[in-house]
Amino acid sequence: MNVASTGIQKNISQAATLCLLAILLILTGCASTQTRKTAADIDPDPLESANRIFYNINETLDRNFLKPVAQVYADHMPVFMRMGVTNFFANLSYGNVILNSFLQGKVNDGMSDTMRFVLNSTLGIGGLVDVATDIGFVAHKEDFGQTLARWGFARGAYLYIPIVQGPNSVRDVPDMATKQLLNPLTYITSIYLLPVTALNLINTRANLLDETNIRDEAALDPYAFTREAYLQQREFLIYDGQPPAEGYDTLFDEYDDGDSELIIE
Amino acid sequence: MNMKPTESHRVVISKWKDYLLGMLLATSLVVPLPCLAQDAGVNDDAQQVVSGFHDQLLGVMRDAKTLGYQGRYDKLHPSITSLFDTPTIAKVILSRYWKEINDQEKEEFIKLFNELSTATYASRFDGYNGESFANLGSEELNKGRLLVKTELQQPGDEPVRMDYLMQRTKEGWRIISVIADGVNDLSLKRAEYAVIIREKGFSGLVEEIRKKIADSKTSSD
Repeated sequence: MNVASTGIQKNISQAATLCLLAILLILTGCASTQTRKTAADIDPDPLESANRIFYNINETLDRNFLKPVAQVYADHMPVFMRMGVTNFFANLSYGNVILNSFLQGKVNDGMSDTMRFVLNSTLGIGGLVDVATDIGFVAHKEDFGQTLARWGFARGAYLYIPIVQGPNSVRDVPDMATKQLLNPLTYITSIYLLPVTALNLINTRANLLDETNIRDEAALDPYAFTREAYLQQREFLIYDGQPPAEGYDTLFDEYDDGDSELIIE
Repeated sequence: MNMKPTESHRVVISKWKDYLLGMLLATSLVVPLPCLAQDAGVNDDAQQVVSGFHDQLLGVMRDAKTLGYQGRYDKLHPSITSLFDTPTIAKVILSRYWKEINDQEKEEFIKLFNELSTATYASRFDGYNGESFANLGSEELNKGRLLVKTELQQPGDEPVRMDYLMQRTKEGWRIISVIADGVNDLSLKRAEYAVIIREKGFSGLVEEIRKKIADSKTSSD
């Protein structure tokens, strides 16, 4: 990384920070006073009772409407068409990935992400075919929530947002705005918008069928399962699959403390 | 082409030898020490435990249909018992509740949890579609623990990172948790079980786990 690009990144970072600071300050509230060190000691879910209500609303809606439709869709839609739909919507929302790669100072990733978007939008017929991966521009998983984490913002409370959104956290909420603002669909007014949005929703849910089936199979408390899985996977994404080794220690706090007792026994 | 080395050939070969030797020396100097430590013999043992488990899993997946649920369960049970450190797992998962139950309950819980793990694997790995595991090396953690990193590769689907949290016991390295794409089974269960114990007590948890084991049998048959 050269000095000039670092400078540019800094400017972009600062501009973006100023823009989103206002929203963020309101949203994070007291959570922003938490430091990363104490994050493990703090109850990740202070709003559990409210979250559980929203979770139950969402689950009821999902079980009765969305999941059955997604199941029919998954059973009848040919795989290559599902791939096309998935690619198309992933490409449309890829602007958010590009921006956040740059905001986190991952210049090479950002360049590669830009190339990916250009190639898939053109050669890939508006994003229907993912030609970029084969050429070497693989997809990255970045969003504004990860950027805020990289910038040092604490996660804040776990949130379960009703109607489609699902698991979230205070720090991940502003991403809903950047995602929306960077998606071309936001700026289109057309009678086709409703069926297109519905298709995206059904296809996304269909892609999650395996995950939710595993959860329903394995979970004793699906709410807690969803929360833990979400929080951990976010952590994994923030560190791009290489979370720090210390993270594993917190699991064993009680266990390691108890070691001496065992010897006495 | 003339294969007999002439004088000039020899010179070229010896030059290449020097070059190769130089390269080797250079790389061995450049490779940072932690990297070397990762490939040291101790960690090989841990990686062998994991690959042994993977071989067992793949075998069960290939014969999944002929074995049926019970067949898969019976095949996996001995290797899960020997390769997983279930007493440690049980203790970490129950966390502070571990101290509140008596020795008999502890023993029963360890046995029950072992059955749950086996049942979960037996019901989930119920077929084979060309999956394979790739070894991604290992990372040393604090307190002598180790993370063995692998990737489950599946044709036509995104690969899934599968990391294994390992601890050394008297019998050698044992698995204490499986981490799929960053989701640690140990912490997942610990959070879940804390909720169940809070609401239904320890006996309620045991009841729920028994029900889960029975469910995975009926849903797979």
